[in-house]
Amino acid sequence: MSALLELEDVRCGYGPTSVLHGVSLAVPEGGIVSLLGANGAGKTTTLRAITGGLRWLGEIRFAGRSLRRMHTEDIVGVGIAHVPEGRGILTELTVDENLKLGAHRRKDGATAVRKDYDRVFEYFPVLRERRNLSASTLSGGEQQMLAIARAMLMQPRLMLLDEPSLGLAPLVVRSIFEIIRTFNQADHVAVLLVEQNARLALEMSTDAYVLEVGRVAVKGASAELKGNESVRRSYLGY
Amino acid sequence: MQEFLQQIVSGIASGGIFASLALALVLIYNAMGLVNFAQGEMAMLATFIAFTLVDHGVSYWIAFPVTLVVAFAGGILVQRIVIRPVERAPILTLVIVTLGLATLVNGVAGFIFGYVPRSFPSPFSAQTVNLLGAFVSYRDLGVIGVSTVVLLLIYLLLQRTTIGLTMRAAAHHPEASRLLGVHVSWMLALGWGLASAVGAVSGIMVYAFAAAVLGGIESPLGAVVGGLIVGVTVNLAGAYIPFVGGDLQLAVALAIIIAVLVIKPNGLFGRPSVRRV
Repeated sequence: MSALLELEDVRCGYGPTSVLHGVSLAVPEGGIVSLLGANGAGKTTTLRAITGGLRWLGEIRFAGRSLRRMHTEDIVGVGIAHVPEGRGILTELTVDENLKLGAHRRKDGATAVRKDYDRVFEYFPVLRERRNLSASTLSGGEQQMLAIARAMLMQPRLMLLDEPSLGLAPLVVRSIFEIIRTFNQADHVAVLLVEQNARLALEMSTDAYVLEVGRVAVKGASAELKGNESVRRSYLGY
Repeated sequence: MQEFLQQIVSGIASGGIFASLALALVLIYNAMGLVNFAQGEMAMLATFIAFTLVDHGVSYWIAFPVTLVVAFAGGILVQRIVIRPVERAPILTLVIVTLGLATLVNGVAGFIFGYVPRSFPSPFSAQTVNLLGAFVSYRDLGVIGVSTVVLLLIYLLLQRTTIGLTMRAAAHHPEASRLLGVHVSWMLALGWGLASAVGAVSGIMVYAFAAAVLGGIESPLGAVVGGLIVGVTVNLAGAYIPFVGGDLQLAVALAIIIAVLVIKPNGLFGRPSVRRV
């Protein structure tokens, strides 16, 4: 079976500084894959390359189709929801308006969207309470919830999550990861998860890649990597 | 008292014009964090187009919508051709570009239509009606009516429709909006088109700028209230402060700008721009 998302020897960088030196990875349909590594290894850059945030060499395919030279807004349109570093919350708008933006390109009718709204509010009841408040009034954890809820409303086939645990209390992180797993199983949505918290990410994912200065240093089944003492020590730091 | 009421009503009429120009400025500002110094010139050019049409025997009620469409298309063109290449440039570059645009539009208009000021024929009669003891001309009522309708339409478009939502999103957070599938560049162009069309509805730049500053440069409601306040204040000052008269009304508008910038820099309705870091 071919993968939903495939990166083949992807190279890119910012101006003259090259960050990725040939990254290859694959996310299977409906799977959860972790992308791990130290600060500056190129995790965020990999996600940005996928959604067209910068130019790249090599090949990136989604559902068998090359994403070369596609604009970000069109890549998003074919079914990739990207929750970026910093969450990408539009703080001038209300919680509800943020959610509306997530669903605004959908063409499957208001009834289907409303149903998904209800489901998302079931996952994150706090968002229903804060619906009409400015998104800037939310706490960090609530903003992360809003960002993920908004991505769910985009009805994606693949979700890119950039450090959803950053700056959040451990309990909040647990519950957010639980919900992501539920969503993945219920909707068969694939997830590419970038995380600093390797232990948590490995628990959640089926496969994992470890980046080291722009290259894939280790890859394998998450359970295997978790059990491998030397990989854990030298790359994952726990 | 009678006289006072009279001045208030005339003030509201001119305030309506300021309000719609101020709203155009706010739209542009919200669409790219930029004050368009060419707004007044673009409005002037649009007015000249309408003038020429009417001069050639076209009915006012056809010339008006035609001009709006031309202004809308012109605004989009200006954004695509002039502004887009410098979109990511520092704010000072953008300011200089719109100032240059103002000079350019002024020159082109002068070249085509000449530099003699002309008054635009109003479709409304100058006859007056007695309204609560003040005499109001149909002309003033017409201006108030048209401004109100335009402002209401713009408000509904921006606050109640999906396209308005994506326009606001594109302006404030272009990167995050792209990730949500918003065609940012086109939304910005649309903002320029709208602002240009709204600007075409009215006329005088400095007053509108005063109104926009007074209300807070980011607040559509502020633009409207600010416009009315400036209109009424300038009118009252002209009538009751002997040395102001008709000649120093502009100075009163400028004084309002300075006073607001000193006392309440974010305007009456603006929020202080605080960022969490």
